[in-house]
Amino acid sequence: MIHFDNVTKTYPNQGRPALENVTLDIEKSEFVFLVGPSGSGKSTFLRLILKEERPTEGRIHVAGRDLARLTNWKVPHLRRRIGCVFQDFRLLPNKNVYQNIAFALEVIGKPRRFIRKVVPEVIDLVGLEGKRDRMPDELSGGEQQRVAMARAFVNRPTILLADEPTGNIDPATSIGIMKVLDRINRTGTTVVMATHDAAIVDSMRKRVIELEYGKVVRDQSRGVYGQAY
Amino acid sequence: MRAQFVLSEVWIGLRRNLTMTIALVVVVAISLSLLGTGLLFVKQVDNTRSYWQSRVQLSVYLCTSQAIDANCNGAVTTAEIDSIQQALKSLPEVISVTYLSQPQAVALFKQEFANSPTLVKYTSPSQIPSSFEIRLRNTQADAIPVTNSVDGLPGVAQVVDDASILNNFYKLLDGARTAVVIIAIFLLVAAILLVANTIRLSAFNRRRETSIMRLVGASNFYVQLPFLVEGMIAGFFGWLISAGLLVAVKALWLNGLQSYFPYGVTLTTTDLVEVIIIALIMGLLICGTTSFLTLRRYLRV
Ligand SMILES: Nc1ncnc2c1ncn2[C@@H]1O[C@H](COP(=O)(O)OP(=O)(O)OP(=O)(O)O)[C@@H](O)[C@H]1O
Ligand SMILES: [Mg+2]
Repeated sequence: MIHFDNVTKTYPNQGRPALENVTLDIEKSEFVFLVGPSGSGKSTFLRLILKEERPTEGRIHVAGRDLARLTNWKVPHLRRRIGCVFQDFRLLPNKNVYQNIAFALEVIGKPRRFIRKVVPEVIDLVGLEGKRDRMPDELSGGEQQRVAMARAFVNRPTILLADEPTGNIDPATSIGIMKVLDRINRTGTTVVMATHDAAIVDSMRKRVIELEYGKVVRDQSRGVYGQAY
Repeated sequence: MRAQFVLSEVWIGLRRNLTMTIALVVVVAISLSLLGTGLLFVKQVDNTRSYWQSRVQLSVYLCTSQAIDANCNGAVTTAEIDSIQQALKSLPEVISVTYLSQPQAVALFKQEFANSPTLVKYTSPSQIPSSFEIRLRNTQADAIPVTNSVDGLPGVAQVVDDASILNNFYKLLDGARTAVVIIAIFLLVAAILLVANTIRLSAFNRRRETSIMRLVGASNFYVQLPFLVEGMIAGFFGWLISAGLLVAVKALWLNGLQSYFPYGVTLTTTDLVEVIIIALIMGLLICGTTSFLTLRRYLRV
């Protein structure tokens, strides 16, 4: 599903590469944790998958497409197959829960009938029944992250990327967030999650890829977080 | 394509920077009005020019009893009139010679200056000379040789080339026309800069929406469409106001100016509609292309 072949990424005017000679495969419906200290290149890895950044060297394939060959005007089609969740939720403050989720479908031109049908379904999936008319500032951080997950998942992507989704959320609420991600993963969606949360990684027992200074230093199925950062 | 959704996003965008939108509408309205006024003026000048083109001639004024010209010694005699006519007819540059007797000249004068009754009232018919009206083969080149050959013949008071009078008049009109067009161009440049700025501001205000749109895979066209429509709507309202102003300009100012132009040269409603349509195309084109080009620089893939 995601294939990195000897990928190096050096940002302009930066001495040390953010990612260096990374080669790895992530299969369909896998759940992968991306761990490592701050600045080790986790976010860079996720941005490369979205083609928000281009690799300096090496090849990347996502969902069967060679990203180097993907023209700019086809990038939106790639992104429709990838959902994204971030530490800072990125909700629209002037739209309610329903509208925030529907927005993702409206801007890719889905018919209104379809939107009316699927948005309530994902609202239920992420456990926000009865809160569809709330504005983001009337929700807790955990609830806001659920809205963001619903928005990322509403178009049934094949891949879900999560960059520290529990970074702004207390441990108890994080468990709920992880349950939702697990539920999404069980529908066959590949999930890649960058995190600093040792407790979560240790409790889930999924594949763990550890980065350090841009290099893969560990790739372990059913792994743990490792030493404390 | 979800038209309703795009329109609601556009509405949000327009409302969010309302002051800029209003400024934009006003500048577009003023620049299009000035441009339109310039075009109407150009049309008026062109109409006048073509009106005169077919009428331009050389007038040989004959002596009246009150003439004070050096060559005159009392009123022209019939014999003199005959010999002048012979002389004119023998010239190869002359197409036709028409004799305008004094009563005919008086009647023509009254008709042409019908707009200025005071002038007619205080001009004594005996001051108006009889004349030969001459059509030349080439109005530009032939005027001087023909003038030279009849000037000074007994009974000829003055030879007047219409074209030389009109040229001064044209110079004045052309100057006014150029001034209006230059001012309009400056304002159009201001309008373009303002459109670019408004769209940039709007893109900045909507950067959250835009970044989410890109993230969930909205096509570039869909991301840009609300801004494009926003610019076009501002352009459209500016045009609407300018259309009203142009109708007013024609009704109040150009129609008032009409009395200074020759009888029969008028701006028609078709002329006005044509100018208003040109203004619409200019307005939409400027707003559309400017917002599109601004966005291409602002919204990276
Ligand atoms: N846009 C950029 N331009 C220049 N350098 C960048 C850019 N983004 C990231 N970097 C650098 O690349 C390296 C990797 O950054 P990245 O954001 O991938 O780390 P991370 O593992 O996500 O860190 P964190 O855990 O703090 O989020 C860092 O040294 C960072 O300074
Ligand atoms: Mg990061």
